[in-house]
Amino acid sequence: MTLPSPEILLQLSINGALGGAMYGVAAVGLSLIFGTMRLIFLAQGAMIILAAYLVRALFQHLGIDPFLSLIIMVPVGLAAGWLIYQGLFRKAAAEEDRNISLLIAVGVMFLVQNLMTVIWGGNTAAVVTSYTASGIELLGVRASFTRSMGFLIALAGTALVVLFLRRTLVGKAVRAASEDMTAATLMGISPHKVNAIAFAIGIALAGAAGVAVATTFPFNPFAGFIFSLKALVALALGGIGNVAGALAGGIILGLIEAYVQFFISGGWTNAIAYGVFLAVLMFKPEGLFSRPYKKA
Amino acid sequence: MTAMANFSWKWAAALLTIILALVPFWPGALDSYLFSFLFFVFIYAVMAQGWNLVAGFGGQISLGSHAFFGLGAYTTAILWSGNYLWGSLYETYPRIYYFDPVTMVLSGLVAALAAALIGLPLLSKLRGDYFALGTLGFGEILKVIFVNGGDFTGGAFGLVTPSSTFETLMPHYWTGLGLTAGTALAIGWLMRSRYGLALIAVRDDEMAASANGINTLKVKVAAFAGSAFIAGIAGSLYSYYIFHVGPDSVFNLDWMLLPLMMTVVGGTGTVLGPILGAFIMYAVFDIARIFVPDYHPIISGLTIILAMLFLPKGLVRKILPMSLARN
Repeated sequence: MTLPSPEILLQLSINGALGGAMYGVAAVGLSLIFGTMRLIFLAQGAMIILAAYLVRALFQHLGIDPFLSLIIMVPVGLAAGWLIYQGLFRKAAAEEDRNISLLIAVGVMFLVQNLMTVIWGGNTAAVVTSYTASGIELLGVRASFTRSMGFLIALAGTALVVLFLRRTLVGKAVRAASEDMTAATLMGISPHKVNAIAFAIGIALAGAAGVAVATTFPFNPFAGFIFSLKALVALALGGIGNVAGALAGGIILGLIEAYVQFFISGGWTNAIAYGVFLAVLMFKPEGLFSRPYKKA
Repeated sequence: MTAMANFSWKWAAALLTIILALVPFWPGALDSYLFSFLFFVFIYAVMAQGWNLVAGFGGQISLGSHAFFGLGAYTTAILWSGNYLWGSLYETYPRIYYFDPVTMVLSGLVAALAAALIGLPLLSKLRGDYFALGTLGFGEILKVIFVNGGDFTGGAFGLVTPSSTFETLMPHYWTGLGLTAGTALAIGWLMRSRYGLALIAVRDDEMAASANGINTLKVKVAAFAGSAFIAGIAGSLYSYYIFHVGPDSVFNLDWMLLPLMMTVVGGTGTVLGPILGAFIMYAVFDIARIFVPDYHPIISGLTIILAMLFLPKGLVRKILPMSLARN
């Protein structure tokens, strides 16, 4: 096998990184929810696909541009996340048995997936706009316009979350709760409040990711679960609880997938992605970017 | 008083098992819907019992049951369709692989071995959620490996075993019933043994268990391998029913999610919970599937959410005397 030209390698890297950012933004949402509630919110992918369908409906029926619909999707996501927590998870979060929350998440996933099938049918859907096929040409490398926009959304979303966590008092409370809920509660932080905030932001991110997915990929109601899995891989790569790391983990996963697809074969991408995931969990469970620390 | 209650409950369970074992002799039972319904309840009850061993009693949430179920089903199908086990005997006895105990036990052992291999590194370094994520990843890797396995695994289509061996559903039914009762008895006995106490101690307080001289890694890996063994045998039994083992059917996530759900609805960490949960939840799903086919997954989803909101501790702890529910 001959090594491909640098242009091809660069092109692969760009495609991989742009696509991977979408796993990353899903992983940031998972990371927040996991941080405070210790819950693997398996329905995150289904939420993203639901958002993608809503973006498509707004576009088709009201003619709202998909990227413009961000100003609707994000507030709707915030409200929906708050409501989902208060209605479904509030009681379970108080229980010590975390299976209960996990199963509610599974139930939500089933429910959302199949509601989408009933409403929009099980076929693959896509949003096609006048600029879907256009791209940006730079140094002989082409980046799809919609993918680049998706990347920017992921970057901006993560940056906002990081700023929120670092610069605001509520963000500080969320961080404290992620580190040690008991100690945080003793300091007067209400667990329900931080959980609900984490959920609201997580679902708002799903709304933003929905915009990115709707404009870039064809999607169907059942694509969400794979998305959740990929987001989990990204989460583990970045280190659980590390928000910026989750985005970086998604980009790394996207790069791995692009390279494996090109150099080995499309059929192996998932196995190798999960293989990397298992290897990271085994040898560097705190993620690729954090310094190791010992915990009893 | 409690001894008396225990005694009568045991008799009731034994009587129910005998009645269920006699069902095939009822005229017309073999062709009835109820018969295949019960067969599936048994498979799910066995799967639920296996998950309950590692997650309910061991406290390690595995999300990889479907991987071990699939491994068991594939082991049976590979041994049979490639005739790797019985050589020339296969020509003399063409039905030798059908419900062959050696093949079934081997299917369980392959799954148990795989669990031990991935359990050692996963359980030594990772706790709780990391273990859950790792087992979920393992299931997905296995699926891709079997899709890409070429002729050995039959690729994306999978393997077909000689369905001409099928005569009635009776052996499936009895094996399923036997496995359900057998796993319940075995786990009930195990949990009263020294090992079972160690496993519960590790679940409740790993550090204290370790300080008392328990090799926590060994105890956890053994529970994980044991649960995989049970899932592997269930997979083997399913392959005798379906005669076509494909990656999308036996590595389907439903084989992990449904037993998990059933166990939690029935009662995690109890011996009877998984069986009761399998019966009730499978009935709910099946009724929904028959009467409202378009909406049945929605109803399944709603049922899980409602069950978790209102019955988080499981049914068994609600309806049975405390002493029995605990074990």
